[in-house]
Amino acid sequence: MGTKLKKKGIRVSGFAGPLIAAILVAVIVGFTTDRFWNLGNLNNLSLAVSITALMAIGSTLVIFTGGIDLSIGSMIALITMAMATLIKFEGWPVIAGLLFAVILGAILGAFNGLFSAYLKVPPFVATLAGLSIFKGVAFLFNNGSPIFSIAGNFEVFFYGKLFGIIPLPLIYIAIFYIFFALYMNYSKLGREIYAVGGNEIAAKLSGINVKKVKFTTFVIAGAMAGVASILMASRLNSGSPNYGSGMELSAIAAAVIGGASLLGGRGNIINTLLGALIIIIVQNGLNLNAVPTSMQSITIGIIILIAVLIDMWKTEVAELFKKYFGKEA
Amino acid sequence: MEVEVFWQLKNITMRFPGVIALNDVSLDIYKGEIIGLIGENGSGKSTLIKCLSGINQPQKGEFYCQGKSVKIINSAVSQKLGVSTVYQEFSLVPTLTVTENIFLGRLLKDKKGFVDWRTMHEKTRSILDTMQIDIDENAIICNLSVAEQQLVEITKGYTANGSLMILDEPTTALTTPEIKRLHKLLRKLASTGHTIIYISHRIDTIMKFVDRIAVLKNGMLVGIVDISEITMDKIVKMMSGRQITEHYPKQRNVQDEVILKVENLTTEIGVNGVSFEVRKGEVFGLMGLLGSGRTEIARALFGVDKVTGGKIYFKGKEVKFNNPQQAIEARIAYITENRKTDGLFLNFNGPKNSTTARIKKLFKSKKLHILDLKKELKTYDESNKQLVIEPPLEYKFVSFLSGGNQQKVVISRWLFAEADFFIMDEPTQGIDVGSRIEIYNLINKFTAAGKGVLLISSDHLELLSMSDTIGNLKFGKITSIVDARDAGEKNNTN
Repeated sequence: MGTKLKKKGIRVSGFAGPLIAAILVAVIVGFTTDRFWNLGNLNNLSLAVSITALMAIGSTLVIFTGGIDLSIGSMIALITMAMATLIKFEGWPVIAGLLFAVILGAILGAFNGLFSAYLKVPPFVATLAGLSIFKGVAFLFNNGSPIFSIAGNFEVFFYGKLFGIIPLPLIYIAIFYIFFALYMNYSKLGREIYAVGGNEIAAKLSGINVKKVKFTTFVIAGAMAGVASILMASRLNSGSPNYGSGMELSAIAAAVIGGASLLGGRGNIINTLLGALIIIIVQNGLNLNAVPTSMQSITIGIIILIAVLIDMWKTEVAELFKKYFGKEA
Repeated sequence: MEVEVFWQLKNITMRFPGVIALNDVSLDIYKGEIIGLIGENGSGKSTLIKCLSGINQPQKGEFYCQGKSVKIINSAVSQKLGVSTVYQEFSLVPTLTVTENIFLGRLLKDKKGFVDWRTMHEKTRSILDTMQIDIDENAIICNLSVAEQQLVEITKGYTANGSLMILDEPTTALTTPEIKRLHKLLRKLASTGHTIIYISHRIDTIMKFVDRIAVLKNGMLVGIVDISEITMDKIVKMMSGRQITEHYPKQRNVQDEVILKVENLTTEIGVNGVSFEVRKGEVFGLMGLLGSGRTEIARALFGVDKVTGGKIYFKGKEVKFNNPQQAIEARIAYITENRKTDGLFLNFNGPKNSTTARIKKLFKSKKLHILDLKKELKTYDESNKQLVIEPPLEYKFVSFLSGGNQQKVVISRWLFAEADFFIMDEPTQGIDVGSRIEIYNLINKFTAAGKGVLLISSDHLELLSMSDTIGNLKFGKITSIVDARDAGEKNNTN
């Protein structure tokens, strides 16, 4: 028996499902329209996926501990407004504004973490409250009106290209996903996040500071929302209290389609990126084929169901695969 | 004696991906008998039960009930055939009353179609009375003790006209008097024509009680032994295929130096002024009923429950643990009673499970806090040489391991954490004979190395045999401390 081979097989199959799905979706969409495999379109795709993908890193970490964060969409509204106000009206240097965005995100995340990890409010409820509060606060800026033209050239963070070819958002995605993939695998906290999600009691009895771990994931989720806010504000060089609305759900959907278990402990950060890609490619495909928005929303919902169904019936699906293709998936 | 074949199992074969769980098992079950079903973990006991209860359907083989061929396609069919199964994990609804649970799913209704609670209460009462069970029919399940819950579960099976009752590991959480009471009840049921399949790991309890024992090994039925021929050695040999001369290979390694001293320990829940000492190399056994404060003492020592009074001295120094981290730092290990809910990370493989209590040992260097995953695999392989965890496949999630191997994974965690004092709460619960003996040998290894052990067990024979000293516990207080050998003799004469 090839122990090594099998071991590899297990590791590979961790990505295989979502990867195959992403490729499959891309190929199918490619068949329906010749405008899909087109440099301009792919460029648009990478821009479109970037904000959700960056937010989804935080959502995924929270989900790994068995929690959920519903507030990061509202954070985008609050952070873009606060950042725009500081840069445009208070004369902060742009770089300070960017730093502020990330720090404010972390602080908002700490607020979620304080209530859900330390004060025992279930994360669903604590972040539902956060969703409402952050959104409300966002409307306090500029009398609730969007702020346009934050700074000259502010769009560069979203539309800029490295060496004139590679879209910057792609670089951000690469940096953050590679970092967090390594971090989850090779750091103490990464391991502890999975442990807490897998068995909270056992984690506590193994000497893991469960509350701190949960708290930290919320802070990371907030900080990542801060990073996403920068891109969001840069896209239209503006801040708006309506930005980010519903995006927390897209981020959660990306994690779930990528195979993260809402019960915690299982999943892989790279798969979340694949999950986000699947959503965006499908959306893009539907757009290119001029399918109305209503159908798009329905499609995304169906994809979520299919993804979770496959996850739930994995062994049975593998059996079927074996039966028809004669080897293990 | 005239025997009537009640159920017949013919050539039952059940395959799961990669394993044959049952291999051509044929067995006749007689009416009114109590048949014991034993085997090491993974021998196919649970699968056989699941086939009878309609949860699994075997690929090959037939079932005959009273001579008629039956197909048990689902659990509803199984119940209709009179099979009632009491699982290890009870299927009672904890927030409902005894009556509600007993009639769950088949509530009696009056002529108008309303639920007829009065009749159901009366029926429950009269059944409990005839079975001589002293439980209030209005009691909420979660307020009952484990033993009482089990009796309710059996009553439930009985009222559902269970003619074939299957009990899966019924004694794991029960004390000796409770086991006696259970056995008396089962005998009574058997004498009224009920047939009982009784599954247990505890050969000592099972052999005194059943009519026949069917022994499973690797999915095959290796033999059926009659009560007259049952001996411990014979069964152990059939089960494990090896001669085990000593079931409790106790070594005495007690040194003079005290490693743990507890004075007047008190907590908010369950511990009321407990004092005892454990010396290096000593196994201190806590004897007491479920709920007497055994686990609570463990939790207090490990910094889980808040200590409200008294002092703990560890290695000569007074210590105060506010959380498990501090206890682990001081080199104390806590092997919990329920490894699945409190011990294991079922989402992790063996190596990851074994390093959680001191993961910083995996750091590449003091400055570089990056986990060395190769080292993790290597240390697991090394501890595996000592613990013999099978299969040794490090990538396998621990949820796929047998109970015995899971327990070894838990122990490997505390070896990795370099513990000097082991709190072991029911360390052999639900695990096979072979692994039990391996765990006893590990305890010997710990004591030989001068480590201390606090042993908690409902299995009196195990506790008396493996401990050096016994503390008798009642209502959160230690009433007496005696030499285990004296306690053992006293226990035998009783």
